[in-house]
Amino acid sequence: MPQTPPPTIVPHGMIKTGARVFLVPGWVLAIAILLKGYADIGDGFAAGVIAAVIVILQGIAFGAEELEHIRVARFAPVMCFIGLALAYAVAFVPTFFGYSILTHFPRMNEHAAHFGPLEFITPVLFDIAVFLVVYGFCVGAVMTVARAELRHKRLLQRARKRGGNR
Amino acid sequence: MIALPLGILMFGSILLALLDGTRKRNGWIAVAILGCALIATMRLGWHIYDHGVQEMAVGGWDQGIGIVLRIDLVGIVFAVLCQLVLLSALTYEVIADVGARVFPALVLFMAVGLTGLTFTGDAFNFYVFFEISMISSYILVNYGESARQFRAAFVFITVNLLGSVLFLIGIAGIYHTTGFLDMVRIREQMPLVQENPAILTATIIFVAFSVKLGLFPFHFWLPTVYTGTRPAVAAILSGALANIGTYGLIRFGVDIFPRELEAASAVLIILGCASIVYGGVQAVSRHAPAEVLAYSAIGQVGYIMIALAFGGTVGLAAVILYSVLNSLNKTVLFLGISAHGWLATAAVAIGAFSVAGVPPVGGFFAKYALFDLAISEREPVLVMLIFVGSVISFVYMFQMYRRRIAIDTGPDAPPVSKQSLQAVSFTLAIGLIVIGLFPEPLIHVIQMAAASLTQGVAP
Amino acid sequence: MTLVFSLAIASLFAAGAYLMLKRDLIRLIAGMIMIGNAANLFIMASALRRGTAAILPHDGDDMADPLTQAMVLTAIVISFATAALALVVVYRVYTSHLSVDLGELSLAEEEQSELDEPRSEDIVETEIEEEVEAMIDEALAEVPT
Repeated sequence: MPQTPPPTIVPHGMIKTGARVFLVPGWVLAIAILLKGYADIGDGFAAGVIAAVIVILQGIAFGAEELEHIRVARFAPVMCFIGLALAYAVAFVPTFFGYSILTHFPRMNEHAAHFGPLEFITPVLFDIAVFLVVYGFCVGAVMTVARAELRHKRLLQRARKRGGNR
Repeated sequence: MIALPLGILMFGSILLALLDGTRKRNGWIAVAILGCALIATMRLGWHIYDHGVQEMAVGGWDQGIGIVLRIDLVGIVFAVLCQLVLLSALTYEVIADVGARVFPALVLFMAVGLTGLTFTGDAFNFYVFFEISMISSYILVNYGESARQFRAAFVFITVNLLGSVLFLIGIAGIYHTTGFLDMVRIREQMPLVQENPAILTATIIFVAFSVKLGLFPFHFWLPTVYTGTRPAVAAILSGALANIGTYGLIRFGVDIFPRELEAASAVLIILGCASIVYGGVQAVSRHAPAEVLAYSAIGQVGYIMIALAFGGTVGLAAVILYSVLNSLNKTVLFLGISAHGWLATAAVAIGAFSVAGVPPVGGFFAKYALFDLAISEREPVLVMLIFVGSVISFVYMFQMYRRRIAIDTGPDAPPVSKQSLQAVSFTLAIGLIVIGLFPEPLIHVIQMAAASLTQGVAP
Repeated sequence: MTLVFSLAIASLFAAGAYLMLKRDLIRLIAGMIMIGNAANLFIMASALRRGTAAILPHDGDDMADPLTQAMVLTAIVISFATAALALVVVYRVYTSHLSVDLGELSLAEEEQSELDEPRSEDIVETEIEEEVEAMIDEALAEVPT
């Protein structure tokens, strides 16, 4: 099979700078969107996508190796499953106390402790779970491919060197 | 209680996703989780048998506002059937050594999807669970990772994604015309909907489920996929996943679109007949056992369609009975043909007899129910056709069996598989014989389920 | 409005269907995504009411149908997951066959079923491929959980 090496794309300096500059503000924005969902438009899903895009941008700008150094990226697949478990727990724990599935506490019209506009209610937990799942899935999927690609590249180089010696 | 099987499966699938599925121990954990879920589902089924339909509104909302989990006897029959098939396939693969770390987790995710599908009373939730099981199957088809599997996977993903999209469009159509997503309310509202939009939506949903089932004009993907995948995956696809099609047609066809189903009965009978003849003739002309079984699956769907076209309590009972036995037959055969040894050969023989409908085996009653139906409807042509179809299926099953014996006793016979591996399909085959000898309990439950559907009341 | 919606859905669906008939796997997936989006648009179009955003309605304002929006969000997530999955499968196909063409894939399948020995001039190449495959399997097995 004819095999042409894929063209290597060197990211522009602007992307590198932008990726670094936006990393922390991006996460702040994501968390803000996650939390303000209780008073305004916004939810865990949108927040997860934004956080994932920011992290994936690091990989695009600095190469897939960089993702391994970012802790929130390395553990993304685990975060995805933790989020899923958290969501299921919010859904199923009420059934042990005789409520129906996904019942939220405190119930409607009951007093909920709050901190500013943020209320401490179980839907927040569920939204955090959604955030984790979305973030974990997006970054985890990219990471899996990136890891395979890295190994593939390293291997091709090694094998080519050996093939050339023969 | 209604949430227990789903809960076991959901948490189990996460646990398995984090563990390495290629280890024997983790594989057995998955089998144990699936077994627990099966027991919980059966217990729930017993409860439903005694007390009728079970409902639970999600989030403690009032009925009519919240999304509803609702399960009746038909649902529980399909849930138990799917879990049983998945359990056998998973056990088989664990004994044969799992080749991919995600395999047990995927089987559990698929169990979540299939169980949730039967447990839900909400049309859109049906789609969500349907997609959970479809996505797991998309990955499962790749299992094995050779060129063949990849090509099979692409055919499978493309065709079934189109089917899912059609189903989604159908649900949006239902919502737009009736204004509800709760199936009971849709059913109440449906007679008020104008004829044309209803027929369009019904057709779209029928096509979507026919694609899953592999009915005649929508069958083209099926042989490639069933022959391309590993036997355990083929068993899962034909034994468990194809049930989505039957269950969906019952749920949406009989429950929501009874008027349209009646209007389309002639079309269904023609498609069913075409499926029987096409599947039978193709199966006779094939050599590889997996290919024979794939075409046989197309043929068997035809019988289900014919029974569905007649409708009524008797027709529905025939549909459910036939799909239950068909799923079990396919699982026995797919797991049997890939193992070698006398136990597996016996299982294949029993499965072959069951497909052909020879008396002491369970498949006889499925065919008998169809004969009964066709005779009571006074359709001599159909009686002939079903008879001819059975003869053809006997011929191809016999051919397959003979070839197998020839290969097994030939000069380069494949090595005999582990006893425990053969025992999986053999145990299911024994189950088929038991059903054949004592069919009354199963038939009783299924008749009750069918009656509850057509009369719209809890048994 | 209905006409605009139906035109958009029709063109998306047609373009998607056209792309799905290609032999190139990437185009096939692009087609899948487009058809999925046609379905999403269809759900949006099936809303029973139009109006302002479905959160915090002001008195007297017509509120948009929130149910279709919830449905479409779920449908988008599902089609997104399916698309990601399909792309990963394409990637696996590419790494093991160095091609994303269905025709070449079926050729590879035929070669595999013939189980022929690799020809001498291809030995280095096949060795590379085999090694790559082995390493990828290893990599997949090592993905930390």
